[in-house]
Amino acid sequence: MIGSVPLSDVLVASAALFLVGLAGALLRRSAISIFLSIEVMMNAANLALIGYGGALGTREGQLLVFFVIAIAAAEASVGLAIFVALFRHKETIDVNKINLLKW
Amino acid sequence: MTVSRLVFDAAAVLTVLFAAVMVIHRHPVKSVLALVVSFFGLAVCYVMLFAPFIAAIQVIVYAGAILVLFLFVLMLLNVPEEARERDPRPIQRFLSGAALLVFAASLLGIISSHGAPAAPAASSPSGEVAPLARMLFSSGLLPFEALSVLLLAALVGAYVLAQREEAK
Repeated sequence: MIGSVPLSDVLVASAALFLVGLAGALLRRSAISIFLSIEVMMNAANLALIGYGGALGTREGQLLVFFVIAIAAAEASVGLAIFVALFRHKETIDVNKINLLKW
Repeated sequence: MTVSRLVFDAAAVLTVLFAAVMVIHRHPVKSVLALVVSFFGLAVCYVMLFAPFIAAIQVIVYAGAILVLFLFVLMLLNVPEEARERDPRPIQRFLSGAALLVFAASLLGIISSHGAPAAPAASSPSGEVAPLARMLFSSGLLPFEALSVLLLAALVGAYVLAQREEAK
């Protein structure tokens, strides 16, 4: 229990969010959509961290989430720069058409 | 069923729903806008879990900065809507769907059997920011400083990657 929210609610919400993100990362073809899905999965992990931190009565979870959000910002900037460079070369960000490393 | 649990559940449903809208929508700008709503719902969840500081940076950094960066790049590149053609790789699609289902089943199984922590909460949580800041600048000081170097590296890396060829 965190206040009056049971931990099971938090975990089910986190798992559902992670699965939605995983489905997007596996089934979509646009690189930007895949990247957004990865952000959703990261947020699902954040929700679980805060839920467990609250249930254990510590703030370690919130501290970890703070670092995760900062790293997500760094990751987003580099990832989007890669997409910009990729779009200049190939005129597409469809992952099926980007096969430079494939035989 | 108390009010805060009700608010948490409503916000969580909203979050998952709009994340699903993001995954389903083919238009990339509408995908990002759905994700903004989803992240606001997540911020409400964080407030209900006594993490108001995290809720604030969720709105400011995630919804405010990262997703706006996505929108900038989408509008800069003028990314077209994903084509409705048949997927050229049906086997991979089927396998990833199957892997997703297996993962979902195992995740729900783990949560229902081992979800609760062994030790119950020692103290009731509070939403104060000051203890978090004290922790951040004492036990978390080294990762905090490493993070500033990482952000600088990401800044330089993004600049170099997105540069035009002739400018090098």
